[in-house]
Amino acid sequence: MLFSGIPFLYWFLPVVIILYYLAPEPLKNTVLLLSSLFFYAWGEPVYVFLMVSTILAGYFGGIIIEKCKNRHARKLFLALSVIFSLSSLIYFKYADFFINNFNRLTGLSVPFLKLALPVGISFYTFQILSYTIDVYKDKIPAQKNPIILATYVALFPQLIAGPIVRYTDICSQLQNRTHTVEKANEGCRRFITGLAKKVLIANTLGELCKDFVASDNVSVLYFWINSIAYALQIYYDFSGYSDMAIGLGKIFGFEFNENFNYPFISRSVTEFWRRWHISLGSWFRDYIYIPMGGNRVSKFRFIINIFTVWCLTGFWHGAEWNFIIWGLYFGIILIIEKFFLGRILEKHIIISYIYTIFLTVISFAVFSADGAYGAYYNIAGLIGAGDIPLISSASIYAVKNYGAILVLAVIGSTPLPRILYGRLFKRRPALGSIAEISGCLILLTVSTAFLVDGSFNPFLYFRF
Amino acid sequence: MKNKIAVILYSSFIMLFLVLGVLTEGSGYSVSERRKLAEKPELSYENITSGNYMTEFEEYSTDNFPLRESYRRIKAFFSKYILCKKDNNGIYIADGHISSIDYPTNMEMVSNAYNKFNYIYDSYLKGKTQNIYLSVIPDKNCYLASENGFPHIDYNKLTDELKKNMSYANYIDIFPMLDINDYYKTDSHWKQENITHIAEFIGNAMGKSTVSQYKVNNATKDFAGVFLGQAALPFKKDELNYLTNDIIDSAVVTYYDTGAPKQGEMYNMEKAYGKDPYEIFLSGTSPLIEIENKKAPEGSRLVLFRDSYGSSLAPLLVPGYRNITVVDIRYIQSNMLGNFIDFEGSDVLFLYSTSIINNSMSLR
Repeated sequence: MLFSGIPFLYWFLPVVIILYYLAPEPLKNTVLLLSSLFFYAWGEPVYVFLMVSTILAGYFGGIIIEKCKNRHARKLFLALSVIFSLSSLIYFKYADFFINNFNRLTGLSVPFLKLALPVGISFYTFQILSYTIDVYKDKIPAQKNPIILATYVALFPQLIAGPIVRYTDICSQLQNRTHTVEKANEGCRRFITGLAKKVLIANTLGELCKDFVASDNVSVLYFWINSIAYALQIYYDFSGYSDMAIGLGKIFGFEFNENFNYPFISRSVTEFWRRWHISLGSWFRDYIYIPMGGNRVSKFRFIINIFTVWCLTGFWHGAEWNFIIWGLYFGIILIIEKFFLGRILEKHIIISYIYTIFLTVISFAVFSADGAYGAYYNIAGLIGAGDIPLISSASIYAVKNYGAILVLAVIGSTPLPRILYGRLFKRRPALGSIAEISGCLILLTVSTAFLVDGSFNPFLYFRF
Repeated sequence: MKNKIAVILYSSFIMLFLVLGVLTEGSGYSVSERRKLAEKPELSYENITSGNYMTEFEEYSTDNFPLRESYRRIKAFFSKYILCKKDNNGIYIADGHISSIDYPTNMEMVSNAYNKFNYIYDSYLKGKTQNIYLSVIPDKNCYLASENGFPHIDYNKLTDELKKNMSYANYIDIFPMLDINDYYKTDSHWKQENITHIAEFIGNAMGKSTVSQYKVNNATKDFAGVFLGQAALPFKKDELNYLTNDIIDSAVVTYYDTGAPKQGEMYNMEKAYGKDPYEIFLSGTSPLIEIENKKAPEGSRLVLFRDSYGSSLAPLLVPGYRNITVVDIRYIQSNMLGNFIDFEGSDVLFLYSTSIINNSMSLR
C-alpha cells in the first residue's frame, strides 16, 4: 500500500485514525501494530511473516543479550542476532547479484534465484539491527513487551520508505506519548505537503525522466535536464515520503527525527550528506564508521573506513555495480574534501554551491543508470561524448513542457518559500492561518486529482 | 482554535470521501475516457494470497473515486495553467485541435505490421493477384505536432520502412493531399466530407473511377471525439457529417461479425447517439464486411485491409467496384482469412493509419 494511493488515503488511514483515537490508551499500540501488519500484508501477503520472524528474532535476541553477563556470550548472541537479521536481507536483495558476478568470473551458469524483494526489508532490518546493537551497548534496556517492540519495527508511517527510526529515539514515546490538537494539525500539514511533494512535483519530474528514456532524440542538454530532474525527483519523492512519515507520526503522537534538511543548499558534499537521508547516514556513522575507528585512526585506516562505509552505503541502495560506483564516488570526494578541499570551499561561497550541485547531479546520473554500463552511458551523454548533439527538438520540448515544474522544484528545494511565508504572515497570524488551511486543502484536493487521473505514480523504493 | 478548525476540516474531507466511496457504486463505464472502469475485486483466499485482490482494489478505488470527472478536470486545469505543462497524459491542444502525442517511432511495431501484411501476401495473394496497393494514412499529428513544437514520429522513416519491406505493393502517397482541417478537432479521425478527393486519388491509382457526387448529411452537431474526454478541459464539440448518393444508398452491406452474415446499413445511425458517434461509418468495429454495388460492372473486386479510418473511406470507394470486402485484422486472425475471402483476381489495398502501424500489437 502506498501513502500516495487512494486506498491508503481514503480507506486505510481514516479507519485507522478512528480506531486509534477510540481505543483506550493501553490499546493504542496494539491498534497501531495490527494496522501496521495489515498495511504491510496488503503489499506482501506472504512476506509479512518474514518481517514478523525478524521482529521475533530481534526481540528474543535483545532479551538474551541483556541477560548474558559474560562478555563473549553477549558478543556471540549479538553476532547471531545480526547474522539472522542480515541473512534474509542478503538472501533476497543480493543473492542474484553475487550469482551473476560469480558466473561472470568463473564462466559457470549458476541459475538465478529471481526472488522478489520484500518491500521495506532494508529499512526494518536496519531498525531491528540498531535495536539489538544498542541493547548490547547498554544504551537501552531490552524491551520485554513484544507488542511495543513489534510496533516500533512495523510502524507503518516509516516501514517501507523510512526514515530509519532508532529505538533509542522513540522508546519512551512508545510507552508514553501525548496527543494534542496542535500536534495533530502539525502532522496533517506535514503529511499533506509531503503528499503534494510526491504527487505533484516528484511524479511530474518522473514523467520527464520517463520521456527521456523513451526518446530517440537525445542531446547533451536533454541528458542534463534529465539528470537535474532525476536528482530533484528523488529528493521530492524521498523527502515527501519522509514528510508524510513524520506527519503521520505526529498524528499518532510520535516525534520522528528529520530526514532531510534542504540538501541542495549544501556547500560541500560532506555537508550534503549531513542534510540528505540523515537517518541512513547517521546509521552508517554510528554502527559501522565509528566502531571501525572513524577518523581517530591513521590516515590510511581512515581512508579504508571511508571507502568501506561508502561502498556499503552504495550497496544498500541497490544490488548493482552502479550503486557501488556511486557510493565510492562519494567516498573519494569526501576524502578529498577532508584532506584539503573542504577548507578551500569554506572560503568561496558561490563556487562551493556550484561545485556541490554539479557533483550531486553527476552522482544521480550514475545512481539512475541501469548497471555500470548505463552509468558510463549517462556520463558520456553529459559530456557530449560520441555523436550526441548539443540540443535536440525533444530536449526543447522537455524544457517547454517541464520548465515551470523544474523552476518550482528548484525554488522549493531551498528554504526560500518558508522564509517568505514567515515574513508574509508573521504579523498577520489570522491571515496566515487561513492561508495555511486553505493551502493545505487545495494541495490535498489537487493531489487527489492527480492520483485519480494519473497513470504514473512510481514507487521508487522497490530496491529497499 | 486554528488547530481545531484545521484538524476538523482535514479529517472531514477525508472521512467524506471514505463514506462516499463505501456508499456509492461505480458506474462501470467512463463515457469521457471511453473505457470500462475497474470492477470490485472478488474477495477470495487465492486472490488475497496472490496479491491480486490488493492490486485490483487499488484500480477499483481509483477508477470509481467519487466525483472522478471533476477531479480529472481539476488535474487538467492545474497541469495546464499552474504547472504550464504543454500536454496532460500525452493529450495536447494546438491550433484549435486536441490530439495525442505518438512518440517515438517504434520500429519494432512497424516491422510487426509489415510482417503481418507479408504473411497475408505469402498465404493468399502471391500468384493470385498482382494488383496490390499500400497507402498509409497520416494521423493528425503529421500536420499539427511539428508546427507547434510537439514530439512526433518520423513519418518518412515509417513509410520508407513499409515500402522497402512490401515491395510487391504499389505505394499510394496521400500525405501531400491532406491538412489539419481535414480532421475532426476533438477526434483522431478524418472527416468523410473532406476525403472525397482521397478516394478519387486512390481509385485512380488502382485503375478505377470512384468519382461521384455526394450529398452531405449531418449525423450530430455534438460529436465529442475521443480526445475531448481525455483532455478533460472545456472545448467545442465537432459536427459529424456523412455522405450519401444513389450508389451508396442502394449498396448491399453484409456484416460477418459472428461468422454468420447479417444485412446492415452503410451508416448505422443508432451509433450517432452512442459512446462513439464515428461508429456510424460501417457500424464501427467489424472483422469482415461485404459491400455489393450492383450498379458497377461485374467482376471488379476490392479487398480492403483497414483500420477505423477505412470505415469512412470505404463507402467512397464503392462507386468503383462491384464488390468490396472490408477486412479488419484487429478482429479476425490473419490465418483464418482463407476461409472467408477469395482473393483471386482482386485488387487488394492495405490502408492503415500511422498510429496503428506505430502501435501494431493489435494486428492479429
